[in-house]
Amino acid sequence: MNLGTRKLLDHSFTALGFGSIIIMGLALLVVLFPIATKGVGAFVFKGTIEHRKLLLSEFHRGDPKEIVKEETETNRYRQKVFDMLAAFDQELDQMDYEQQSKYRSSYDQVKTSLRTLLGPLPGDSEPALTRFQYGQTRWDKAEEKLHGLLYEQKWDYSNPDVIAKPYDVSRAAGFAGTSLVKLFPYVEENLDKMMMPEWTFYWGFFTESSLDAHFFGGIWPEIQGTIFLAIGAMLFAFPLGVIAAIYFTEYARDGFLTSMLRSANSTLAGVPSIVFGLFGLAFFINTLHVSESKSVLAGSLTLAIMILPTIIRAAEEAILAVPKTYKEASLGLGSTKWNTIVTVILPAALPGILTGGVISLGRAAGETAPIIFTAAVSVGAAIGLGDVLTSPTPALSWNIYNLASEHEAAAEIRHVQYGMVLALVTVVLLLNLSAVILRARISKKLKG
Amino acid sequence: MRKFGAVLTLMAILAMIVAGNAGAATKGIVIDGSTTVGPIAKSFAAYFTKKYKVPVTVSESGSGNGAKSLINKSCDIADMSRSMKPQELAAAKSKGVNPVQSVVALDGIAIVVHPSNPVRSLSEAQIADIYSGRITNWRQAGGPNFPIVVIQRESNSGTQETFKDLVLKKAKVVRTAETQASNGAVKNRVSQTPGAIGFLGLGYVDSSVKKVAVNGVFPSVVTVKNRTYPLSRPLFMYTNGRPSGMVAKFVDLPKTPEGQRIIKELGFVPKY
Amino acid sequence: MNGDVASNQSRSSEFIVSAQKHKIQKIKQKAGEAILLLIASFVAIVVFFIFWFVARDAVPFFRLRGFAEFFTSADWYPADDPPKFGSLAIIYGSLMVTLGSALIAVPMGVIASICLSDILPFSVRQYVKPVIEMLAAIPSVAYGFFALVVFAPLLQNNGGPILMWTWWVIAAPFFLLAVIVASELLTTSIAKESMKKSAKMALNIVLSLLAILFLYVVGNHLQGLVIMSGTNALNVSIILSFMALPTIVSVSEDALQAVGRELREGSYALGATRAETIVKTILPAASSGILAAVILGIMRALGETMVVWMASGNSSSIPVPFYNYLDSVRTLTATIAGDMGEADQVTGSARFHVLFAMGLLLLIVSFVSNLISERIVVRQRKILSGQ
Repeated sequence: MNLGTRKLLDHSFTALGFGSIIIMGLALLVVLFPIATKGVGAFVFKGTIEHRKLLLSEFHRGDPKEIVKEETETNRYRQKVFDMLAAFDQELDQMDYEQQSKYRSSYDQVKTSLRTLLGPLPGDSEPALTRFQYGQTRWDKAEEKLHGLLYEQKWDYSNPDVIAKPYDVSRAAGFAGTSLVKLFPYVEENLDKMMMPEWTFYWGFFTESSLDAHFFGGIWPEIQGTIFLAIGAMLFAFPLGVIAAIYFTEYARDGFLTSMLRSANSTLAGVPSIVFGLFGLAFFINTLHVSESKSVLAGSLTLAIMILPTIIRAAEEAILAVPKTYKEASLGLGSTKWNTIVTVILPAALPGILTGGVISLGRAAGETAPIIFTAAVSVGAAIGLGDVLTSPTPALSWNIYNLASEHEAAAEIRHVQYGMVLALVTVVLLLNLSAVILRARISKKLKG
Repeated sequence: MRKFGAVLTLMAILAMIVAGNAGAATKGIVIDGSTTVGPIAKSFAAYFTKKYKVPVTVSESGSGNGAKSLINKSCDIADMSRSMKPQELAAAKSKGVNPVQSVVALDGIAIVVHPSNPVRSLSEAQIADIYSGRITNWRQAGGPNFPIVVIQRESNSGTQETFKDLVLKKAKVVRTAETQASNGAVKNRVSQTPGAIGFLGLGYVDSSVKKVAVNGVFPSVVTVKNRTYPLSRPLFMYTNGRPSGMVAKFVDLPKTPEGQRIIKELGFVPKY
Repeated sequence: MNGDVASNQSRSSEFIVSAQKHKIQKIKQKAGEAILLLIASFVAIVVFFIFWFVARDAVPFFRLRGFAEFFTSADWYPADDPPKFGSLAIIYGSLMVTLGSALIAVPMGVIASICLSDILPFSVRQYVKPVIEMLAAIPSVAYGFFALVVFAPLLQNNGGPILMWTWWVIAAPFFLLAVIVASELLTTSIAKESMKKSAKMALNIVLSLLAILFLYVVGNHLQGLVIMSGTNALNVSIILSFMALPTIVSVSEDALQAVGRELREGSYALGATRAETIVKTILPAASSGILAAVILGIMRALGETMVVWMASGNSSSIPVPFYNYLDSVRTLTATIAGDMGEADQVTGSARFHVLFAMGLLLLIVSFVSNLISERIVVRQRKILSGQ
């Protein structure tokens, strides 16, 4: 091969390297971008008057006077719609049976669309479910529903031999010649006046409980459950892990026992997370009976076992990174070994140990599989600190799964799911970021 | 060291937030079981908590799991979309649990396809053929030339067991069937996949999927109630012994006007 | 301090007592050490317990149903009467998505680790490492959510074009390079310079046309593929490869770093380019460490639950044909997570225990591959340190 080709190969190789790193970066972006953008939409959105009404009556938040004023304002525009409906009702009464049945089902659909858009219509009995008591609380959803009011999606089944294509039919055309025709352009033009959308920062998303199976409200019980589980796991794993690391670095002699223990540690690190769940179920719940059934305690214990190897490794590395001179100086001054460890080595290694701890905390917060059988429930109130020993809890990781693939209206509440994912990812990444910063400080300090 | 002080402060603040919430919940009603009954249980729970200030937790982990939880005494009410099996009853007896059944609502198992599918009606035999893999293309069922994507439920689902009992009888579900964890997931998959077929509790059906008539009868509140629709079944709540106190109030909700309204609004059929 | 000095002085006069004290102190130390050892061996106890408890609930399954059905039959009907517990299709599904993710993650991960250790300057490396750590830190359920909600619909609706473009972007540069190298190699024997040049030119053109034709045919085929369902083995493999990448990159980077400067410098001194140095010298020296990295990365993919549960489609069948990544599959982990609903001692005990049997299988595989990778790393360290 001549030099040119060799150089070309060399450059291509470099390009390949850069390429794969760029792909990794892109992968990260591609995953995080929709989560970040749509997740923010869960708490920053154009809220309608319905949103403010909901907050006022369900969470007692907002200025009642202001909201009443807005409500009368919007009702002024809504009243016209209701009048048109009443007028059409009368018109319908005067038609003969055949004409009536021609309009009936389509008219019912119009009414249903209006209900989802504006909430219960006058004359409706108060719905029992919160999701039907209010109209659209989010302007983006309201616009979607408006399309459903203006157009009916139909499928072209004329040729039974092919998969049909959808097409939109204007509902107004279906009511041509009746008084209802005017309703459609009116709603389309005045929807913003009927809904009064304004940009809202809904911080209640993080501090309030959910309402009506996550249709409304926030994700506080899930956040709190995640905090309980993660901190609980740390309470068990952190002291154990640090002490084990001290043994490995300061006391263990090379030999069969030590190498076996180390092997055990790396084996534990490699155990699939679902197996931890099985073990937690078989051991903590079915054998030890730490709680009757799922509980925060059982979940924390299971998670603790899972993060133990990470903590031990990080603590070991941190302790080994403490300069030998520290230890020698302390021992030289007549201090005992244990004294040296507690007063000299551990303080010096603390930042490194904390780094490992923080990363493990993130891992414990994010893991799902170990808590499926040991701690997580799909709907539940925030539990008190006193209940952690016996009560199961909702948790972000599990509820993301639950809402995304088990909820009866998963597609309707995508924004809640995205919000949850964003909350979880943010917590975990912030923990990792602080670990990175912590580590950078340490390496700077060690360099002097 | 100041940094760690900051970290500690942060932790302390977190702990305070958590502690501030302590004692918020007292022992309430614990419900476990079927995802089909789930929406009813969750809505009842919301209504109940509001009215009586009693917290209610609802797990939707499948009918089988509900039975297990009741037998292990880890829940007060087990939602089930099938009745308890003899083995489960025997196991309950041996653990000193006496399962008492009460009917919550009636439910039709709707057969759904993607809205783009021109097929309007299927016979029970055709459905059985599709699910057992003897029919793999919609053309064989009077539809377009398009492969069928069969979607079933996880094996712990009561809906799955009822469907198998009512439609498949002894036949086995074809191996290639996709398995989804819940009614909501089935609806999602069917609504996104032309060529898909799935079965759902009637309460889950909305405009994103298309109901298919079975033996010429469309599933609806009326046809389920008068039993002309072939694939219908009652939904249950099981309690340990005759319920009393708050649990009894909860189980009796379907008999109250509010309870019936909730059931109707969710798309199920009230029994009473 | 002053007190210490004082007591030292008094100690000399009470020699016997101090010896006793010394003894007590020693016992104390020994006891303390024993306690430490006990705590340190907690991990080993836990590992033992995990094996014990998972095996305890797995053994009854094999006692009830034997081994043959579990490993050789693909009939998975746990809820039927009579039930069938053939797990071949599920084991195959696990292997399939693991292999798929390895096919993507291993080449990318190894190349990225080379880039990190040998090509990128230190200042850039500092920014790349956190990216890799973030990839590792994102919770699996977030990946699963992405796979289910974002990626699956994308793949289902635009799968053909996506596959075609990916094919072009990845394959076209490779083919271009291959064409250039091939025409270079094929014309080395021609002595005359001018003839060599024109022959090379001709070869270049002919081969490029062939390559483009090939690229086009394959691309066209890919574009024409109809993806019936976005939740399939391909989707899961791609997402799992993201999750396995960080492990592969960081472990194999360690292995590459462990190869000393001497080897690199020697190679450069002999006139090798950087690529040649890496491929011919460093990679062979670090190969066992990279193998360990690959094993660990694969284990990460094999043991992952949430992504496969949410986005693999969960159909317990072996795809037709067996390499069809566009079919949905079911894995061991997802089966454990999903079937636990009925998993109880109440009905059909075999059904509960079969899930533990699957857990045991996963556990044994992860244990063995961990041992292997550990051995490899230890051996490599020994070789590199010249023992």
